[in-house]
Amino acid sequence: MGELSKGIYVGCADGQVYVRVVGRGTFQNSQPLRHFALEKIERGQAEFVVDLGQCQGMDSTFLGVLAGIGLRLRQDGRDATICVVNIGSRNMELLQMLGLDRLFTMNSVTVPALAEAEYEKLPDTDLTQLTHPLDKDETADLMIEAHDNLIRADERNASKFRELTRFLRETVERRHKDGEGHK
Amino acid sequence: MKDFRIDLEPRGAVRLIRLSGSLDMYSFPRLEEQLNTLFQQGQYYVVLDCRELDYIGSAGLGALIGFAKQAREHNGDVRLLNVPDRIYKIIELLGFTKVLRVHNTEEEAIDGFPVT
Repeated sequence: MGELSKGIYVGCADGQVYVRVVGRGTFQNSQPLRHFALEKIERGQAEFVVDLGQCQGMDSTFLGVLAGIGLRLRQDGRDATICVVNIGSRNMELLQMLGLDRLFTMNSVTVPALAEAEYEKLPDTDLTQLTHPLDKDETADLMIEAHDNLIRADERNASKFRELTRFLRETVERRHKDGEGHK
Repeated sequence: MKDFRIDLEPRGAVRLIRLSGSLDMYSFPRLEEQLNTLFQQGQYYVVLDCRELDYIGSAGLGALIGFAKQAREHNGDVRLLNVPDRIYKIIELLGFTKVLRVHNTEEEAIDGFPVT
């Protein structure tokens, strides 16, 4: 396998949606994945495979977006799955720490059957080359939603993220009250 | 990716904590444990030197706000020092600079405390 540049890669084959994280998954590159996944779910895709073999780490927002995909699939009541593969010990620990091992099917060894060429990189997901400045409110909204997802997935997460979500909600409210709007 | 490291250096009544590597959900519990230990000892004047930090996650920042608030209830604070530009941009974007004090020199960060 050649070395891929950092970013989030996606592909579809045999009714499955493949996601490969190369480098870090963070709040800075979660939004394109969220949009992509929701669009695929809207179109009826119900099986997701997330490959973490080249993932150097994930922040809670990125994990919350993954949790959101899992919760959305579950909510649709279909025979839907999100299978996380090629998980290193560090990422495995993170997923377990947040209780996401109960939401996802986890496999530390399976390699997804998708050829390299079938992946395409989602735009603006290489953290070293972001082209658009992030919008403050959009980022805050994404983070609030992601952490709410983590709490919905496992209520023990509430105490971990209480301070962050409270702060973000207050910040957004304050900005709206001050008329700062989207900047 | 560098391993996360914490080095504690007393500066009078202030506790200077040098952080290096990546402060993410995986490593944050170690800092959390260190801060809890200091607070239990009644040491609420804390400066986190971030010069050697190459990443800080959103959850870690959120938790730091909680620690800063807790310290302020005891007339102390948790302040950030030498925050690299790329990390400062994140802190600023998320509005954390309105709550967490960020300093560029050790003197400035330490001198601001009522007792040194």
